[in-house]
Amino acid sequence: MSLSRLCRVVRCDLVKVQSSSALVSKLWGPCASREVSTCSTQRASVAQHSSKPDWNRAVSEAEKIVGYPTSFLSLRWVLSDEIANVALHLRKLVGSNHPLLKTAKNLIYNGKNNMQAWGLIVLLVSKAAGHSPEIPDMEQDKAAGVLHSQRALAEVTEMIRTSHLVHKGLVNMNSRQPIAAEPDDMMFGNKIALLSGDYLLANSCSELANLRNQELVELMSSAVRDLAEAEFLGERDEQNNPLPSRPLPKDQIEEASEWDIITDPLPMGGVIGCAGREWAARHVLAAGALLGKSCSAALKLAGHKPQLQTQGYLFGCHLALAWQAFLDLEAFTGPEPASFSLVGAPLAFTLEARPELYEYIEAGKKSVQDVDYHALYKAVLAGDGLEQTKRLQREHIARAVHVLDSFPDCDARTALANIIVAMHHDHL
Amino acid sequence: MATLTISCLKVGGKWRMPVSCVCYAVHILKRFVAVVAMACLSSSRLCARVQDKLLCQFGHKVRKQTVFVKLKPPGPSPLRIFGKTCQRVTTCGPACGSGGFSAGVSSGLVRRLASSLQSTSTGSLPDYGTQIVDPYRLLEDDLNGIYEDIRSELERNTNQSELNTIATYYFDGQGKALRPMVAILMARAVNYHVYGENSALLPSQRQVAMISEMIHSASLIHDDVIDQSDFRRGKPSVNVLWNHKKVAMAGDFILAVASMMIARLRSDDVTLVLSQVVTDLVQGEFMQLGSKETENERFAHYLTKTYRKTASLIANSVKAVALLSGADESTCELAFQYGRNLGLSFQLVDDLLDFVSSAQAMGKPTAADLKLGLATAPVLFACEKYPELNPMIMRRFQEPGDVEKAYELVHKSRGLEQTRFLARKHGAEAARLAAELADSPYQKGLVVTTDLVLNRIK
Repeated sequence: MSLSRLCRVVRCDLVKVQSSSALVSKLWGPCASREVSTCSTQRASVAQHSSKPDWNRAVSEAEKIVGYPTSFLSLRWVLSDEIANVALHLRKLVGSNHPLLKTAKNLIYNGKNNMQAWGLIVLLVSKAAGHSPEIPDMEQDKAAGVLHSQRALAEVTEMIRTSHLVHKGLVNMNSRQPIAAEPDDMMFGNKIALLSGDYLLANSCSELANLRNQELVELMSSAVRDLAEAEFLGERDEQNNPLPSRPLPKDQIEEASEWDIITDPLPMGGVIGCAGREWAARHVLAAGALLGKSCSAALKLAGHKPQLQTQGYLFGCHLALAWQAFLDLEAFTGPEPASFSLVGAPLAFTLEARPELYEYIEAGKKSVQDVDYHALYKAVLAGDGLEQTKRLQREHIARAVHVLDSFPDCDARTALANIIVAMHHDHL
Repeated sequence: MATLTISCLKVGGKWRMPVSCVCYAVHILKRFVAVVAMACLSSSRLCARVQDKLLCQFGHKVRKQTVFVKLKPPGPSPLRIFGKTCQRVTTCGPACGSGGFSAGVSSGLVRRLASSLQSTSTGSLPDYGTQIVDPYRLLEDDLNGIYEDIRSELERNTNQSELNTIATYYFDGQGKALRPMVAILMARAVNYHVYGENSALLPSQRQVAMISEMIHSASLIHDDVIDQSDFRRGKPSVNVLWNHKKVAMAGDFILAVASMMIARLRSDDVTLVLSQVVTDLVQGEFMQLGSKETENERFAHYLTKTYRKTASLIANSVKAVALLSGADESTCELAFQYGRNLGLSFQLVDDLLDFVSSAQAMGKPTAADLKLGLATAPVLFACEKYPELNPMIMRRFQEPGDVEKAYELVHKSRGLEQTRFLARKHGAEAARLAAELADSPYQKGLVVTTDLVLNRIK
C-alpha cells in the first residue's frame, strides 16, 4: 500500500478510535498478547492487519520480517559469565528497593517501551533500504535480507540504550535527603548497576570495533556522548530527575542555533526556556540521537550515499520524537496517574501558556515526588497542551513517513509503517 | 557453570564454614595437585611459588643480588640465580616455558638483560633522581600541555557546563601521567627502532597517549562511585562532590569522547586493540567482585585481575603506538609484553604501597584494599605462613578486627618482600624487552621507567 494512503488511514484513525483506548492499553501487558499475535507469518498478513493497528502485532510481524529480533537476550549474553554473575547478585538485591530491579524488570517484561523495538527498527530500516550489489554474499543474512554487520549494529544500539538506562537507574547516595532504604543495599545495587552498564558499554565498544568502520565507530560513540549529555540538560532534583526550565517570554529567548552537524554536540542556543525546543533538545539527546545515528549507520554499512544516510538519521530521530510524544500523551489517556513525566510535551506546552504554574515545579527541586501532580494534571487537561502534543507527534510522524517514501515498496517498509500507525493509534 | 557454582557458594553466607573447612582439609593435597595439574593452571601462580621457594632457600642473599644486579657487570652470579629459577621451573612441566611471565628467561636472555641494565647505568646510579635519562624530562615537550589538550577535547564535546566540570576534574595535571608518558616513550623508541635517528612522534601516537589517560580516568571515576572513596590524588573524589548519577554519566562521557578520538585515528587495528582495554577493565572489575576458593586459583585469579584492571591499558596502548608507527608484528608484540610486565609490576608495587605507605604520601587512605575486602598479593603471600588469613579472605575482611589483624599478619610475614620480588621480576622482564629495541635515549627511558615504577613511593 502506498504511503500516502497510509497517511490517510492514520488521519481517519485519529477520529475513529478514541473510544477503544482502554481496550488497547490492556493489550499492552506482558508477553501473553504478543504470543497470540505471532500466529501468522506471511508477508501478506502484515498488510492485511494494518487496517486494524495493534502495537504488539505490528512489532511481532516486523520481527519476523528481519528474522527473530535482535540478540540482546540471546543465549550468548545470558550465558556469559559476567551476566550470570549479575543475575546472581541481583537476587541479593531482591527485597531492597534499588531501582536496578525495576530497570531489570522493565528490560525483560515491558511491552511498549521495549528495548528490542530499537534494534528492530534499525534492522527494518536496513532491510527497507536494501544494500549495494557489491557487498559479497558472505556478509549477508540472505534469509532476513540484512547484512550481518547491520545485525551487529542493531545489537550495539540495544546495548548502548540498555547501558544508559541501567546507569540512569543508579541511586544518588550523595543527596541531602536521607535515603529510604539500607545504605548498604543501595551501595551494592549501585555497584552492580554501574558494572553491568559498563559491561554493556564495553561490549558495544568491541562489537563496533569488529565492524572495522571507523566513521561508524565515531558516529555511534557520539551517540553515547549525547546520551550522557542528556542527563545534564536543565534543572534536576536531587536524584537527577529532570525538571522543566522556567518558561521565558518570547523576546528573552536567545537565538536558536542550527542542529545540523550530527557528530557535534547539540548546540544549546535558544533551548532553555523555550517549551518546544527544550522538549526536542532533551529527547533528541536522550533518544533521537541514538536511534537516528543507528539508522544512519545501518545505511552506511549497506554502502548507501551520504545523502541517504542523513535521511536515515532524520527518520530515526523523528521516529524517536514521535514515540516520545506518544509516551508523554499516554499519561493523560487513562485514569489519572499518581505521577507523570514533568518534562513531557503536554506539560511543557501548558507551562508555556501559563507560566505561573511553574511554582508547582519549583516545589520539586528536592524531589519530584514533592510536586502536586494533581494540580498539574488538571491544568494540562484544561489547556490545549494535549492538542499541541498531538500536533507535534503528527508532525514528527509526517517527517518520518516522508523519509520512508524514499525507500522502495517492500515488506520491511510496510512493517515500519505499521509500527508508526500502531504507535499513533493506540493512545487516542 | 562451574565458576558459577563456586561463586554461589562463596556468596551465600551459610556455605562459608564448610567450604573453608574442606579447603583446609585438602590443603596439603592441593599442593601436590598444583604441581601435577600445573599445565592446566596459569603458570604465573607456579612461578610465584617457585620464586617463593627460591626466596626460602636463598633468603636475603638473593634479594640483595637482585637489588644490585644493575650495578654489576654481566657476570656469573646473577646469572646463576636466574639459571636456577629457570631450571626449577622447567623441571616442573612444560607449561612454564611458554606461557607465564618471566619464567622462561634463558641464560642468554639474562646475559642480555644484565648488559642492558648495565648500559643504562651511565649516570650516577642508583640515584635515579639525578640520572641522565629521566623519562619525564626527556619527554617534557611531548607531555607539555597534554592535560590541557584532553580538557579542551572534552570541552569541545559538550555544551553542558556541569558535565564539563565533572569530566575534567581529574585532568588537573596533578596525576603522574604515567600512562601517557610510557605511551609516548614507547612511540618514540619504536619510531627510532624502525626509522632511525630522524624519526619524530606522530600526532596520532600522542593522541593514543591522551586516550590512555582518558580511559584511565573514566575508570577511576566509576571506581569512585563503586568504592565510595573520599580522596583521590590528594583532593576530594568526584563522588563526594557531585550527584552519583551525574558522575556515572561523566565517566561514560569521557569514554565516549575517547572512543571518538580513537575512531578519528582511522585505524581498524588500533580501534580493536584499544577496545580490548575497555573490555578488560570491566572484566577485571567483575573478577574483583569475587575471589576463588583455593589458594592456587586465588593467585592466578589475582594476577589475571591485575592484568585486566591495570596492565591491559598500558600494554595495549603501547601496542597501539607501535602499530601506528608501522612496526612489524614482533615489535608490536614486544611493546605489548613490555607494557604488560610494566603494568603488572606497577600494580604489585601499588598493592605493596597500600600496606607500607602513609595516607599523606599516597593521596588516598592506606590499607584501602583490605577495607574494600580485597586480598592483594601481600595478603595472598602472607597466607602461606598464616593460614588463619584464609577465612578472613573468604569473608572479605568484613568482621570487626579483620582488617587490623590481616594488616598485622602481612607485616609479620614476608608477604611484602615476596610481593616486591615479584614486582622486580616483572620489572626486569620489561627492562629486558626494552633492551631489544634499537639503542636510543627513549629506549633507555623505557628501561629507566621500570625502575621508576619499582622505586616509587607513591
